[in-house]
Amino acid sequence: MQIELRTQVIEPRRKTFTHVSNRYGDRPASRYEEGTIDLQGSEHFQYKPLWAPDKEIYSPDFSELKLADPYSYMDPRQYYYTPYVSARADLHEAFGATLSYLDKRGMFDRLPEAWHGVLQNIVLPLRHYEGAAQMISAAAARYGWGTSITQCFSYASFDRIGNAQMLSRAGISLGGGTADPLAVAKTAWIEDPTWQGLRKHVELTLAEQDWGKAIVALDVTDRVIYQLLYTHLDDVAIGSGAGSYSLIAQHFSTWFVDQRKWFDALYKAWAADPEHGAANVETLSAVVSQTLATVAEALAPVMTAVDGLVDAGAVDALAATVDQTRSAYAALGVATEVAS
Amino acid sequence: MTIAPKAPRKLSMKDRYSALTRDLDWEPSYVSKEQIYPLTTFEGITIHDWSKWEDPFRLTVDAYTKYQAEKDKRLYAVLDGFAQSQGHLSLTDASYLNAMKLFIQGIAPNEYNAHRNFAMLARHLEGGGPRFAALCQCLDEMRHAQTEIHTLSNYNKYYGGFHNFSQQHDRVWYLSVPKSFFEDALSAGPFEWLIAIGFSFEYLLTNLLFVPFMSGASFNGDLPTMTFGFSAQSDESRHMTLGLEAIKFLLEQDEKNVPIVQYWLDKWFWRGYRLLALVAQMLDYMLPREFMSWKEAFELYFEEQMMKGLFEDLAYYGIRPPLHVDKAIQEKEHVSHQAYWILYQFSHAAAFTTSVPTAQHMDWLEEQYPETFPTYRKLWEKEQRNIDNGGRHFIRGLPQLCQVCQIPMGFTEADDPFVQAQRESIFEGERYNFCSDGCQYIFEHEPVKFRRAWLPVHQIYQGNCGGPTLPDVLNWYGLEPGDGGEYLGSIDHQNWLKWHGDPAHVENDHAPAAAGAEGGQ
Ligand SMILES: [Fe+2]
Ligand SMILES: [Fe+2]
Ligand SMILES: [Zn+2]
Repeated sequence: MQIELRTQVIEPRRKTFTHVSNRYGDRPASRYEEGTIDLQGSEHFQYKPLWAPDKEIYSPDFSELKLADPYSYMDPRQYYYTPYVSARADLHEAFGATLSYLDKRGMFDRLPEAWHGVLQNIVLPLRHYEGAAQMISAAAARYGWGTSITQCFSYASFDRIGNAQMLSRAGISLGGGTADPLAVAKTAWIEDPTWQGLRKHVELTLAEQDWGKAIVALDVTDRVIYQLLYTHLDDVAIGSGAGSYSLIAQHFSTWFVDQRKWFDALYKAWAADPEHGAANVETLSAVVSQTLATVAEALAPVMTAVDGLVDAGAVDALAATVDQTRSAYAALGVATEVAS
Repeated sequence: MTIAPKAPRKLSMKDRYSALTRDLDWEPSYVSKEQIYPLTTFEGITIHDWSKWEDPFRLTVDAYTKYQAEKDKRLYAVLDGFAQSQGHLSLTDASYLNAMKLFIQGIAPNEYNAHRNFAMLARHLEGGGPRFAALCQCLDEMRHAQTEIHTLSNYNKYYGGFHNFSQQHDRVWYLSVPKSFFEDALSAGPFEWLIAIGFSFEYLLTNLLFVPFMSGASFNGDLPTMTFGFSAQSDESRHMTLGLEAIKFLLEQDEKNVPIVQYWLDKWFWRGYRLLALVAQMLDYMLPREFMSWKEAFELYFEEQMMKGLFEDLAYYGIRPPLHVDKAIQEKEHVSHQAYWILYQFSHAAAFTTSVPTAQHMDWLEEQYPETFPTYRKLWEKEQRNIDNGGRHFIRGLPQLCQVCQIPMGFTEADDPFVQAQRESIFEGERYNFCSDGCQYIFEHEPVKFRRAWLPVHQIYQGNCGGPTLPDVLNWYGLEPGDGGEYLGSIDHQNWLKWHGDPAHVENDHAPAAAGAEGGQ
């Protein structure tokens, strides 16, 4: 009897939730869709936020960048919590394996002096940059409008503290199990003139109240930094016997490829929005133009310092990367002004 | 003794964790601290030294993702297996799912709200340690929202009441109780949030909220929900330690924080306790196989664990037990009966069903509540006679709602169960009604906030809910036939009988009520 019961065919009354079928029809929905669509409340907010009495607790008005329908944007990676943490478990496991290999083989000691300097003076201070990126991404996760968008930013926020932790662990390995290189890097971040342009830019971005403008400023900066440090310098490192640098850098460039997947799709959605597209493009153009100018200036001393350590052509690469980034935005329909 | 000069000073666990979290922060010099952290002063809380925050757990991103991914793999394997084997057929009864309908409508959207607002803390707290702890909880709460939805998604395919939970959370009258609760916290500052959700909800009241649902699931054959509950437990223990650290930190930082925190405790205890009326009625009335009464749960998880354990510790800081806690204790023999009676009469406008408890169930209630249930039993027996005469009782009018908790005014005086409680306050010429001293107390502290509440009944009267007639409103609620009303004879009930191929299956367990169903049809 029991077995027969279990094999009887029972027609489901519906294939998914109403808010999902309203969008896609009554077809089986993915876990990403059921865990994302319309999850954020959207009406009849009970009280005004004490911290923003002119707005609602969730509101499209926390940024100039808007989508008429936030769910016109969906994460191309289809990350809900589980695939997200699984993917990051793999990333961090791979990084941990790299680090223990480098530790075991004494690779940090064998690193050419100059590349030791690149890690210590150029890469490690960026853990503070990643820490700020965590906060800027968290603001987007809280103040954004619509789960499909804020979900990406919440994972990105966690990614950035994860990146900061990977950098810190590399620094601890570099210090033979001590935090000394981290302390040196922190002093450089706070005091060394090389870093003050970038630090100022980061602090101003942290003070930006519009989450969309802040996150775009961060992303523009990321594009340049990740390209230079984890792709360009990676190539140079391989060519100059600093394989260990490359082994570390690969994890960051791998992460950044993933970051681009969903973020580029978001730019496309912003630019193509039927209602807000034109205004979005205008805001994006302004933020991207300004940030590119700032970053070109702020990173110049950092790249000069790189060139002082290794023969990387970093100063030229900075100019080229700024141009590439400008073209990448132009391809998205976001024209930028070249500062004169 | 010589000290080896060259041996590297390996980092202790604590220092390593600090290097990976709080050491990332620096003092800004190009903008002011207030520009970066604009939300940490307006609530009146004084923090002298953020570095005094004790990290309640030392989880790093690599360990977190690894551990959570493994847990999810196991959880989703159970969900898949249950769906493939039509596991829903081995529940005790389809009526059990009413508890889960409440869960997906009332709790899952608030797990989501918690996710969003812990992101706010992960942005705005001034210490790298507390920010990272908040960020972990931000992700955990997304996990809870999504795993709850995925757990209940399979039931949604076969049963009513689940399908429109998200929109209903924003619209339906009884869901404004949990919605207003969480939105009250979302609209507060980061420190009140820490006390409201981090401490009061996650520590003080968490067992009273989750144990009834999760144990109810395990007693009623709901393997997926039970597995979800176990799987969330290690997250919850992190949340509890965070909440406890948060309150201690605030109290230790400055004496001036004590009265502010005390008010928040008074407020959020009562807010949470009123919200739990929904859990109380679920526990006592919605589980076909009952396992523990509300009174017993309240005594164990609140009076024993919190009043005796926790508040004795907090007295050291000058904190007393929440105001009105005595009323909650007095009410413990009444609140579930009164709450279910309210829901019973309005369930035609709800996305769950209700029914007169069976004779066996009433015997159980009488054992649990020997002092008080005989009175309520008379009410149900009278209702059963109505049903036998063809008159199942639904209230067609609209109830008055409490301005703060938004529950229909149906609770009695805590010390006199025969007198309905009603309080009122006048603010700027307008009259506001409350179900209790506790709710009135909150309003009088924050009238500007609470007068704005989106009260579903007022909104219906003002024509903001789809139209003037009941069918208009129900349509606007996105209710489908079978979502609400009487359970016996409902679509879920009929399907259940059909799927089990034998009407006797239900009649054996529910003989008296099944007889009532005939009368009601
Ligand atoms: Fe949760
Ligand atoms: Fe929690
Ligand atoms: Zn009330």
